Amino acid sequence: MDIDDLIKKIQPYFSELKAEDFMSSPVVTIREDQKASEAKELLRTRRISGLPVADKEGKLKGIISIEDIIHALENNMLDSDISELMTKNVVCITKNEKIMDVFKKFEMYGYGRFPVVDENKKVIGIVTKYDLMIALLVKLSILYVHDTRREQFVGVEIYRSIPKNVKIVREEFEFQIDYRDISMAGTGASELKKFLISKNFPPKFVKRIAIATYEAETNVVIHSNSTGRIKAYIEPEFVEVRVNDNGKGIENIELAMKEGFSTAPDYVREYGFGAGMGLTNMKKCADRMIILSSKGNGVLVEMHFWRHEDEN
Amino acid sequence: MKIEELKDIGFEMVTGGEGEINHGYACDLLSEVMGRAKPDTVWLTVQSHVNIIAVAAITGIRAIILCNDHLFDEETVQRAKKEKIALFKTSLNTFEACGKIYQKGIR
Repeated sequence: MDIDDLIKKIQPYFSELKAEDFMSSPVVTIREDQKASEAKELLRTRRISGLPVADKEGKLKGIISIEDIIHALENNMLDSDISELMTKNVVCITKNEKIMDVFKKFEMYGYGRFPVVDENKKVIGIVTKYDLMIALLVKLSILYVHDTRREQFVGVEIYRSIPKNVKIVREEFEFQIDYRDISMAGTGASELKKFLISKNFPPKFVKRIAIATYEAETNVVIHSNSTGRIKAYIEPEFVEVRVNDNGKGIENIELAMKEGFSTAPDYVREYGFGAGMGLTNMKKCADRMIILSSKGNGVLVEMHFWRHEDEN
Repeated sequence: MKIEELKDIGFEMVTGGEGEINHGYACDLLSEVMGRAKPDTVWLTVQSHVNIIAVAAITGIRAIILCNDHLFDEETVQRAKKEKIALFKTSLNTFEACGKIYQKGIR
């Protein structure tokens, strides 16, 4: 079966998806009367490769990419207005455009991103190939994404920019999950908590991470019937935890995410597990959480934690 | 209140712990406890297996009271000692035990 057949076959599942359902929003934009140097800084600090350009009313005027910035650097034009450097005839997507039409635009134009506009040509989002892929995986219920960071922080200079020539050393924590002994569930999360405290992270922040990790670890013990592993990477203001197993996987992630839904066997419920709260707790604690799974293919949970201001 | 004061209001201490108690929580579903209990809490439950210690350690629970005359597993006691979490038991049911602690001003 080639790709076209595959797309035809799965099309009925997602043909109703509209651009506004899967675009990244809110989107970082820049005004046409700002300077090229400001665009350069935005692209650098946000680590993105292109920005929609809007007028004072927020209407789409163009797009400025890293290539345009390179061009500006070569010609000493960093002090010029963005309107002089941007690409003006932008191909954009309207918010009601169906996913298949969006696909076709990617194919036809070969661009990496398309701004999304509403009836009044106002920029309301952006779609990259990554957004498309995520939308399909979510729709097929093999992926779940929860991201509070987008809601809270877009527009704020919170995205960490790595200073030049400084290599960040990522410290690691690793723990093997013993799935055969339910009484061991939570050991990894307790160990991680101690590890993070020893690295001087504040208790409130650590608690959030430990709770989310406990739930993920318990899920491996109760559900996977396989070995699993907890891995954590730390940076001064950020912790990433990955929990994965090689077990039977989640058949329908959307269903599993529902509060109170549980497939836990009775004997573990007697121990107070299986309340269907685990994933809800994880979602509550993590700033960003991605779950990737399908039947028979294990589960990968990746959680990101940024230290909040009130956690110092 | 101090952890030892739980003895004064009739709870039998199985092993001692560290710190003060400022809050109380009662529930037998571990995820609920994880998600909702505050730090420095006394937790009332009928769960006695060793996982409750992990829940307590992660949540910042200082003391656990086991109600209805249930008994702690030996492994639970050992782990509690290691994590310095106080364990108590009582013949009262959870509701009655909560009442006693509530009267002491713990919320």
